[in-house]
Amino acid sequence: MLVPVTRLLVALAAAAWAVSACGDPDPRDAAGTESASTAASQTTEAPEPATAAGDIVDDSAEGDLLHTVQGRGRLVCGVSGTRVIFSETRPDGSVVGVDADFCRVVAAAVFGDAGAVEFVSLTTGERFAALQSGHIDVLFRSTTWTQSRDTAVGLDFGPVIYYDGQQLMARAADRYTISSEVADIAGAVVCALAGTTTEQNVSDAADAAGIDITLTTLEDFDAIIENFIAGACDVATADGSALAGRKAKQQPDDQEWVIFPATPFSKEPLAPVYPQNQSRFGDVVNWAVYATIIADEKGITQANVDAMAADPPDAEAARLLGASDDEQQSNMGLAPDAFHQAISQVGNYGEILARHLGPAGLTRAGSINASWRDGGLIYAPPAR
Amino acid sequence: MTVPMGDPAATAAGSVEPWAGEREPAQKPDEPSLSAGEWLTKNLFSSPVNALLTVVFSLFVFLVVRGLLNFMFSEERTWRAVKTNMRFLFTHAYPQEQYTRIWVCVGAIAVLSGLSVGLLARVGGGISMKKLSMNLMGTGAVIALGIVLREPSAIVDDEGLALHRDVSEAVGGSFAGWLDSNAFTVLAVLVLANVALAVWFHRQDTYLRGGPEPRIAHGALVLASFGVLMVQQYASGEVVRESFADAMLDRAWWWLAAAALAGAGAALWIGLGDARRRHTFVPAMYVFFAVAGVMVLSSWVYPWGHYGFLEGEFIAEPGSTVAMTTKLPWTVMLLLLVATYHLGRVLRAARAGPKLRVPLNLLWVLTPFVLYWAVLRDPDLDWDHVLSTDLPMALFFAAFGGLVMWFLAHPRIGEAGRVIAAVLVAVAALNWVAAYLGWYPMLQKARISFLLLAVVALLAHNFAGDRSQRMKLVAAWVATMAVFHWLVTLVNSPSTVDTPTDALIGGFGITLIVAVFTLLLAFPMGVLLALARTSKLPIFRVLSTAYIEVFRGVPLITVLFFFTLIFNLFLPQSMTLVDIAGATIGFALFSAAYLAENIRGGLQAVRRGQYEASDAVGLTTVQRTLFIVLPQALRVSIPPLVGQVIATFKETSLLAIVGIFDFLRIADKVISAQSEFLGVKREGLLFVSFIYWLFAYNMSKHSQRLEKRLGVGER
Repeated sequence: MLVPVTRLLVALAAAAWAVSACGDPDPRDAAGTESASTAASQTTEAPEPATAAGDIVDDSAEGDLLHTVQGRGRLVCGVSGTRVIFSETRPDGSVVGVDADFCRVVAAAVFGDAGAVEFVSLTTGERFAALQSGHIDVLFRSTTWTQSRDTAVGLDFGPVIYYDGQQLMARAADRYTISSEVADIAGAVVCALAGTTTEQNVSDAADAAGIDITLTTLEDFDAIIENFIAGACDVATADGSALAGRKAKQQPDDQEWVIFPATPFSKEPLAPVYPQNQSRFGDVVNWAVYATIIADEKGITQANVDAMAADPPDAEAARLLGASDDEQQSNMGLAPDAFHQAISQVGNYGEILARHLGPAGLTRAGSINASWRDGGLIYAPPAR
Repeated sequence: MTVPMGDPAATAAGSVEPWAGEREPAQKPDEPSLSAGEWLTKNLFSSPVNALLTVVFSLFVFLVVRGLLNFMFSEERTWRAVKTNMRFLFTHAYPQEQYTRIWVCVGAIAVLSGLSVGLLARVGGGISMKKLSMNLMGTGAVIALGIVLREPSAIVDDEGLALHRDVSEAVGGSFAGWLDSNAFTVLAVLVLANVALAVWFHRQDTYLRGGPEPRIAHGALVLASFGVLMVQQYASGEVVRESFADAMLDRAWWWLAAAALAGAGAALWIGLGDARRRHTFVPAMYVFFAVAGVMVLSSWVYPWGHYGFLEGEFIAEPGSTVAMTTKLPWTVMLLLLVATYHLGRVLRAARAGPKLRVPLNLLWVLTPFVLYWAVLRDPDLDWDHVLSTDLPMALFFAAFGGLVMWFLAHPRIGEAGRVIAAVLVAVAALNWVAAYLGWYPMLQKARISFLLLAVVALLAHNFAGDRSQRMKLVAAWVATMAVFHWLVTLVNSPSTVDTPTDALIGGFGITLIVAVFTLLLAFPMGVLLALARTSKLPIFRVLSTAYIEVFRGVPLITVLFFFTLIFNLFLPQSMTLVDIAGATIGFALFSAAYLAENIRGGLQAVRRGQYEASDAVGLTTVQRTLFIVLPQALRVSIPPLVGQVIATFKETSLLAIVGIFDFLRIADKVISAQSEFLGVKREGLLFVSFIYWLFAYNMSKHSQRLEKRLGVGER
């Protein structure tokens, strides 16, 4: 009796093997089940690139980041998520700030939808590793552009979106004023973040000024401010934007804080970062930022961009907003109205900065972040 | 035999439900009852050393508790930051309009918990009425003490800022002012007086006589020290504070709560009368229901304040009760729990317990998967694909596998069965080799199903038996395939829940999800590793030992960094591992190594005779391990296993370091960086520690009950 049973089973096994082998090699399943037992697997569905210039995109080589991003339909943007002015996380999980807005600018340029961003909140320690491992597409995390990072880390930097610099903050009661200099803090207890360049910068500046300071390093900027309020630190030092943000929100009523020297003693050009050798994607990030700067120069704002696109004031504006036949955006692999969407959904450079610097008590006018026409450093190559 | 044979009540109680350890708790002989004063003398003031320890320790506790209370209730605390971010802390960016899903999950767990406790908990167990009334009175007293200990609120001006005063002017001259400036000296004198008293009493042999003098004298000195500290608190400081009387009046709600608790306890105490000596028990669940009920009721009555953040706007209504979206769901949850608990009791009375125990445990294992993938993710099923591929494949594997099981579990199949199973294993392995070499295409889940089939086929002869036995095996296989294919389909479908960040859920949600999935993955792995390490086969032993020693030798944070940041680099181009998945795998691999060592300890406690006896009755190795060795080993390892579970639960806070928005990170880094709450950190950290403690303490309590029930440490 057993022999026929065995035969039957062997035949069945063969049939099973054949049937399951015929299964449709569906890409949804192929990658999805790999992580079946793990946790939330990424959606493995690959919709067609959602761009009007599909024919150009399709030519792109395997491994092209722009192609990958367009295929995914969302831009994965690395931000801090814990830095006022640049990117802070609201109680509903949304992210606001200058960095966050530039992520939205890029998303609006690529997808025509400023909401197509997935924010990944990163610490300073993991930001570059996240970019290198492909976890994020682009890093807008108030990252200082330096030679070593640009060359040794294997990353590329985009245009500077904010020129920051290290400054000092002290109490007016200690006879400091906004025109004080580094030399005036001789003998003071200076508090800086441990293990950062701010620590090195301030001792270099003190050496250069020929003064002695007592440097105290703390692990956490909240702790620095607390010690500063309590009087344990005479001077707090960090990037000017961070100090201004704290002064606007945390200065007690019985204290008056001043930030000096007027010219910062370090250069902190904050720029977006993307993986090395991704020039098509890099171009998109660069020109999305430049587009907001050009719009700022030409007075194209969120409010009037539709009118400007319908009736361009000059040829450059027409090209930038996709109102001419030059196909400048199409050649980049974007929709012709990519930058029109970016400005209409997020705003131009000046609007973005004003939105987030204002509450922190910072103004653009008169600073190095003013337009080059007003004596600042913000300058974009022409859209021709 | 203490139970008389003829006692019908005793025999009935013993025979009703023999399966659940249904005995009355062993009657402890009544301790000679002490009056409160005698108790104090005997336990706190029995010798000079004991008395001085009591004095010093009570001063220490006083200072710590007062410090904590003053910290919590200080007007400098911005509790609004925690209240506003409550949703953020628990679920991060999970969209508000989808929040019903969260409540469905909580509800499902409430239903399961209610059923389990109602069905399986001991009836005789619980909290004795005497203890309950004492606890109620004690809680009331502690709250009253807390109200008095706390410093009065500061008097504020129109802008809500505390008024300040010149210290010397305000308190100079008065007795309070003198006490304030000499507090340390006065305290030192009082403590020295205690020492002198202790020496004197010792000389007089007062302690040995056990009279009331030590507790009265030392107690008076301690109370005097407390008084000094209290007066000093009200007098000192630069901030102008309201008067003592006003402060007590302002805390009317708290007085009410303290009075209600103490009153209820006292009423119970008096009502019990002589019954105090008897052991009358309230089910522990009723006490829980009462506590939860009071909290839910307070959410409808007490002005906790309504805070939130909706569509870019802050909501801040300090005078109102909590939001309807909070109090209504919690009320429903409590009602669900009460209802299902009583349903469980009804089922238990109908003797459904033994039948429902296994399904209930299976549900507990399955629920996390279903809740995460089917409810929280809200998968967007592609019905064409489901009908054309997923469903036929599931049906095929269920039918074909069922047939295979039916034949292989035949008692007379013998060697032929092993050959067939071996062929199946070979084919299953071939599928994976073929996939690697790209010979022929096949769906991944077909390969996994096939492998599963082959492994179960290999074990089928262990379940050989008559018709009904074989039917059970087939039914189990069909059910497994149904659940497995359903889950894989859900996992493969994209989520419709749209959040602004990379994670579906964060905060305490992710803490719980990672902890639960880690344990679900790590526990079976740990058991297998422990068995492998104690195996006679060198391959298993060496591999398992190597694994355990490697993972125990590497810091957890390194493992996490590897799986969240580096592991993706080793994967093929088209595959990525999401952060949370990577972290869960890392946690699971790490915990498995520790669990394995805990279980190995339990395995070593199983006596040799048990192995020999099971061999003697002719059990197979699998049967011996499953039915004889593991149950005993796991019972012994409960305390270290629960320790490991608690450790894993708390270690999830390391997620903060690898950049996942977990509970701790939101409180520590994110809230304090919101422009409205810049620098507000301590409130969030205190709140988070409290929630962690609440969960860890409950796990620990539960394990204690489990130990008691299983008699660990007695046998």
